[in-house]
Amino acid sequence: MNVAAPDPGTRSTEADGSLVRLEGIHKWFGNLHVLKGVDLTMRQRDVVVVIGPSGGGKSTLLRCVSLLEVPTLGHVWFEGKDITDVRTDLNEVRTHIGIVFQAYNLFPHMTALRNVTVALEKVLKVSSDEAHQRAMDQLARVGMGNKASSYPGQLSGGQQQRVAIARALAMKPRVMLFDEVTSALDPELVGEVLEVMIRLAGDGMTMMVVTHEMGFAREVGTRMLFLDDGRIVEQGEPREMFYKPQSDRLRQFFAKVL
Amino acid sequence: MAVTEAPPLEPEVAPDVRGPTAPLPLATFALGIASLVVIAIGVLWSQINYAFSDRVMTQYCLDQQISPEDNGGIGVCNIIEALQDPVTTDALYLGISLGAAALILGASTYRRMDSKRKRDHAITGAVLGSQGILLGVGILWFRSVSPGLFAKHFLNFADLQGYGGAFLRGIRNTLVLAFAGELGGIVIGLVLGVLTLSERRVVRAPARLYINFFRGTPLIWQLVTGYFLLLFGFGLRMSAFTVAIIVFALNTGAYAAEVFRAGIQSIERGQFEAARSLGMSYVQSMRYAIVPQAVRRVIPPLMNEFVILIKDTALVVALGLVESQYDIFTTAREGQAATFNATFFTVAAIAYLVVTLPLIRLVNAVEKRLRSGLVGIAGAGS
Repeated sequence: MNVAAPDPGTRSTEADGSLVRLEGIHKWFGNLHVLKGVDLTMRQRDVVVVIGPSGGGKSTLLRCVSLLEVPTLGHVWFEGKDITDVRTDLNEVRTHIGIVFQAYNLFPHMTALRNVTVALEKVLKVSSDEAHQRAMDQLARVGMGNKASSYPGQLSGGQQQRVAIARALAMKPRVMLFDEVTSALDPELVGEVLEVMIRLAGDGMTMMVVTHEMGFAREVGTRMLFLDDGRIVEQGEPREMFYKPQSDRLRQFFAKVL
Repeated sequence: MAVTEAPPLEPEVAPDVRGPTAPLPLATFALGIASLVVIAIGVLWSQINYAFSDRVMTQYCLDQQISPEDNGGIGVCNIIEALQDPVTTDALYLGISLGAAALILGASTYRRMDSKRKRDHAITGAVLGSQGILLGVGILWFRSVSPGLFAKHFLNFADLQGYGGAFLRGIRNTLVLAFAGELGGIVIGLVLGVLTLSERRVVRAPARLYINFFRGTPLIWQLVTGYFLLLFGFGLRMSAFTVAIIVFALNTGAYAAEVFRAGIQSIERGQFEAARSLGMSYVQSMRYAIVPQAVRRVIPPLMNEFVILIKDTALVVALGLVESQYDIFTTAREGQAATFNATFFTVAAIAYLVVTLPLIRLVNAVEKRLRSGLVGIAGAGS
């Protein structure tokens, strides 16, 4: 089953084939200058891995893609549309951009199944039968089919995160954003979540992954960004960056985390 | 063949590690209990004995300004005569002595007790003993001043004969006022609470103005002004009772708004972001993700508001209610005005407690359940 994998050619993209394009992104929180001019282009099937020290702006950058944070300056283009334009229907755009959060953020008053179906029914107006079918397919895909009627409080962190991934996938997004999705997990639960993400990348999903999992970054990423102090210090093919970091800053970073 | 061991039938309990007790702390504990029990039995025995006797007005009662012509004067005389009864006197002195013994024994020995249970018994005995002393001395003092005046005005139930139905009606009217007011207040409060969370100042400002006005002016002012405003200012034909319900709803709305605002703000920001990231609008996010969670958290504070409102309904005494609409307090006030007997207020207090105490217990139980049962709260997944 490959429900959410994009099908290149049928999606409307820009002439250069880009799905997401960030242009001169600046973000201030009060007087705190978090992003200092970031440019980024994501194409179909890209798995863009973002690494860097805490406070470097990684999560803010990811959240700017779906405008959960509105950039102070700059533009975000999604499938050729400038979604920073105030006339954009953000609710519609967000149905195409799946996000998985560090803290899972499942709705605790709903079963795993309901967590997945609620947006299908209320936002996409899918019939409840079809929503149920799509939800069960996605829950099975992340290995949570037998926990559909459990509440989030009855699930482990890894299980909750997998349900959160299924919830995002069920919307059939064109791109998936992962915001440090394993950082809150006990070490022995990290593997099950990474495994789902690796499979997703193999299916051809376009992904942006903010992570501290260097192994995942190296093996799965098609491109890697090193973000520090609000700027992309270095970017390129992950293995190359690992073996031949160009900047002192990245060498120092690797020295600390590897 | 797989034989599985049956699970143990009795639930595992934590072991009792408080250790054994000993004669001395146990005796202290018993003395403390005895102190209170002796006083209670002695006083009650005298009161019951006198209540069922055929005594007449005594010189002592006449000295206490109780007249034989007073309605219920004999009953009041019995109450204060019983207080002077030798049985009561003996019980009071005995109880105080027992209490003092428990206090001295417990206070002087509890530090030397070598197990938790011995220590608990010694301390509990000393505390109970001191309570016995306070109670005994208090009653001795009370009967030495002017118990007649007090009993005549607050414990003379003779004038209340025939008021049982009136008080029941009062309870019903009080509950109708409070319930209708709370219901209206919850609707107003939910809307206002959501408005105060808007990111737009033009939306927040009117809501804040409303809330601050109703929280910042006295409820009695709102009731009286509302009454004159609606009836004379706008020339509406409605009863004072209806005016009261409207004002209670408007007032409670302001307080409920703050409760809802706090409840919504207590939901993690990530919940809202998750809903928005799934394409839900602001209103859909509130409706499906945030409010269902917030509602559960605001139930205890809203119930507390309801208890407060039950008591505040007494302020309708300032409006001219017709008799069929009297609440508990107005019933008592009218009864007292007709008989100059303040025992009506004693009964009003009992009537309020009959309504509020079960509710207070219910709030505590609900709070406890919500606090412990955060996992898998079924039933609200709409």
